[in-house]
Amino acid sequence: MKFSRRSLITLVVLGVIAASLYYFFSTRGVTYIWHWEKIPEMLFYHGSKSPEDPTPRLHMGILMIGFMLTLKISIFSIFFAIIIGTIVGIARLSDEPVTRALSISYVELIRNTPLLVQIYIIYFFVGSLLRLSAFTAGTAALSIFAGAYVGEIVRAGIQSIHRGQMEAARSLGMSYAKAMRYVILPQAFKRIIPPLAGQFISLIKDSSLVSVIALADLMFQGQQAVARTYYAFEIYFTVAFLYLVMTASLSMATQYIERRLAISD
Amino acid sequence: MIRAVKVCKTFKTTDRREVKALVNFSTHIKKGEVVVIIGPSGSGKSTFLRCLNRLEEIDSGEIIIDGVRITDKKVDINKIREDIGMVFQLFNLFPHKTVLENVTLAQMIVRKRKKKEAVDTARDLLHKVGILEKENVYPSQLSGGQQQRVAIARALAMHPKIMMFDEATSALDPEMIGEVLDVMKKLAREGMTMVVVTHEMGFAREVSDRVIFMDAGQIVEEGTAEHFFTNPAHERTKVFLSQIL
Ligand SMILES: Nc1ncnc2c1ncn2[C@@H]1O[C@H](COP(=O)(O)OP(=O)(O)O)[C@@H](O)[C@H]1O
Ligand SMILES: [Mg+2]
Repeated sequence: MKFSRRSLITLVVLGVIAASLYYFFSTRGVTYIWHWEKIPEMLFYHGSKSPEDPTPRLHMGILMIGFMLTLKISIFSIFFAIIIGTIVGIARLSDEPVTRALSISYVELIRNTPLLVQIYIIYFFVGSLLRLSAFTAGTAALSIFAGAYVGEIVRAGIQSIHRGQMEAARSLGMSYAKAMRYVILPQAFKRIIPPLAGQFISLIKDSSLVSVIALADLMFQGQQAVARTYYAFEIYFTVAFLYLVMTASLSMATQYIERRLAISD
Repeated sequence: MIRAVKVCKTFKTTDRREVKALVNFSTHIKKGEVVVIIGPSGSGKSTFLRCLNRLEEIDSGEIIIDGVRITDKKVDINKIREDIGMVFQLFNLFPHKTVLENVTLAQMIVRKRKKKEAVDTARDLLHKVGILEKENVYPSQLSGGQQQRVAIARALAMHPKIMMFDEATSALDPEMIGEVLDVMKKLAREGMTMVVVTHEMGFAREVSDRVIFMDAGQIVEEGTAEHFFTNPAHERTKVFLSQIL
């Protein structure tokens, strides 16, 4: 499989970096005492959480809690980004000049300002007006951000479908909406899977920025763990590895879907 | 069945020139009539067909189909299109759907037929065009001739009152032209109203009631296929026929 080879290379590279750092420090007389043994309990630990619930059981550790939140916010954001992007991509190709202009403005506004600024604006301004939770604000910011890029990808995808497809669909009596839904979009989406996957991998990584609004995502939890223990190397390596698990799974999933859809080629 | 009155259609090209594709084009096609349209490339044949189901909007004139002035803005064009089948030069099958799904899709989402009914109709038609055994394959696995026969079945599945063919055999390898023409001839003999853009004069002679020769967006000459073979009147017609025969 293509995925495992690429991810394997990534893992090897990470390993080489870790080894050279180790070599660098040990040969220069800097003795860094590794504390890898502290990492597992940051993922899962067995014990009791609080005096009220004394029966010991398996709990998620600090990093795993962050991992789950990053996973959740990424899944939600990908879902909404697809919806926003599809609407924006179709609007961009509308005959209606106003619709088209709105779509273009949205895309340009979002793509030409930093995500970090967007997160702050949505959280501190829109969020406090509408009383949004940090999670909702973070998801909204990421969805709106990725939606602009997905919109451009969807537009390109629709334009890449031969116009005879739309004509055939319309000549059978399908409305524009039905032709889009049953004929154009399924073909367009199939064609844009690779750029979409790239976009969503970026989204997973960009989601680390929501740590600035005190969302307990993987990045935030990693920072907390470092602040508490000072095992910066071990923790950030683990954080990087956990992001890699998510992005690699996504790219594996897309390759599976691509293969499944290739049967009609 | 179809009446076109003084239809004009002008295109603006990308370099902002105006191209007159149809100039005061008038004709009347009766129910059950098979009309073949011939003419040099760029003479407006496709444009005429595309105006009949409003893939193109006309500039002036009117088109009346089955008593409905389809060029009125208020007309529900999707309803009109259900009754006019169109077959394209490049087939335009839906590549993400199997042969059977290509033929059932519009039946279900436009005609609102139940799946079972749509599948039965599709199988009947695929049998009729001689390709039933391929119902579960994707278009990319078919030859051009097979794809075009599926496209015909797809259009027929809507039970249209009129069938239009725009150079349905021009993109085919010579050995596949016959199988598509056979299907079209069968349809003509069953009494379908047909408007056929083609240069297959054999087809015109065998099944057409009338041949229209177009040039520069106008009808130059019309008559039976026999007329065109034996004594075409206009110089332009003679020149054109000498090129295609
Ligand atoms: N969408 C279009 N935009 C600009 N010009 C067009 C368009 N469609 C057709 N034309 C022009 O209109 C004329 C008639 O075209 P068409 O009806 O396709 O001719 P035919 O089918 O007889 O070859 C040609 O000069 C062609 O270039
Ligand atoms: Mg043409």
